[in-house]
Amino acid sequence: MADPTKVDPIHQFALTDIVPLGEFSFTNSSLFMVLTTGLIGAYLIMSTQKRAMVPNRLQLVSEMLYEFVANMVSDSAGKAGMKFFPFVFSLFMFVLVANLFGMIPFFFTVTSHIIVTFALAMLVFIVVVVYGFWKNGFGFLRLFVPSGVPIYILPLVAVIEVISFLSRPISLSVRLFANILAGHITLKVFAGFIVSMGGLGWFALLTPLPLILTIGITALEFLVAVLQAYVFALLTSMYINDAIHPGH
Amino acid sequence: MNDPQKPKRPQTGGTTPLTSDLEARIARAQRERRAEGSERAGEANTMTGWGKGLRLGSEFVAAILVGLGIGWLLDMWLNTTPWLMLVMLMLGFAAGVMNVVRTAAEMNKAANPPTAAQGAPNDLDE
Repeated sequence: MADPTKVDPIHQFALTDIVPLGEFSFTNSSLFMVLTTGLIGAYLIMSTQKRAMVPNRLQLVSEMLYEFVANMVSDSAGKAGMKFFPFVFSLFMFVLVANLFGMIPFFFTVTSHIIVTFALAMLVFIVVVVYGFWKNGFGFLRLFVPSGVPIYILPLVAVIEVISFLSRPISLSVRLFANILAGHITLKVFAGFIVSMGGLGWFALLTPLPLILTIGITALEFLVAVLQAYVFALLTSMYINDAIHPGH
Repeated sequence: MNDPQKPKRPQTGGTTPLTSDLEARIARAQRERRAEGSERAGEANTMTGWGKGLRLGSEFVAAILVGLGIGWLLDMWLNTTPWLMLVMLMLGFAAGVMNVVRTAAEMNKAANPPTAAQGAPNDLDE
């Protein structure tokens, strides 16, 4: 950016090749995915290494994360759902750490690209469909046939139920992606106001206003980052519940 | 809180002041913990309150988009442009409304126990 008053809030989402390999290039997005999983793995392994009966702070955080997700899974999917605890925990940790990484200046936000969140959502969707059919056979299709519906409107209701079911990966991925994308753009736009107002003579006196807003939005973005990871994991465990117990 | 302790005081307080002190401390710790718990439940409710709106909105829009998409694909396949797309758009709209209603019902069901639990400690304290 040669012109200091010109602000490009979209620039932060640009993908750049670090190791160009054509279609399979290692991009900055890949780098941060690796960093995310690396940090999660390293943190969890290091902090639980000692297995102290009285945990130190690091181990306590790991245990709290574990218990938080374990409670969430067993609350929404029951004891049978605990089979999927590693899956939900991995998803939760990945989304959480990726979102929080995005809050560090100059870091790339992996979850601000819909293809990443959509891949995660499709993973959930495929797990639900495959496990549902494997566990219940064709009984899984009861999910689309609500009880107590008269036979003459059943086909219509079934089609609506199927659409509703297929909309899940989309709502799951769009929610996460849109929240993160919109938040980061808002943050950059308001931060950009400070720079552009500073170059406008008397308006420079008003620069504390966008600065205060930027601070507020930053705090809000931390909330959104954690909350969206929570919502993603919660919905995943609810969908898994559908795969285990189809039929309403 | 005072009433249950009063009859006990003469019994235990006379023998060992240490145990009665411990009892009082346990009671205080339990009260504090309960208060903390209900506070955290309230916090969780406001946290999900922010998420609730976004969740309802995205569920609604996603169902419409899926309906539209399925209709469009069927049209491409069966050469019936625009009819199936229109029908599926309507059905997608219905599915979106159903999603929203179902999600809202789920949220209501999930929200009721915490409010009941929040009421209970207050009753006990008085």
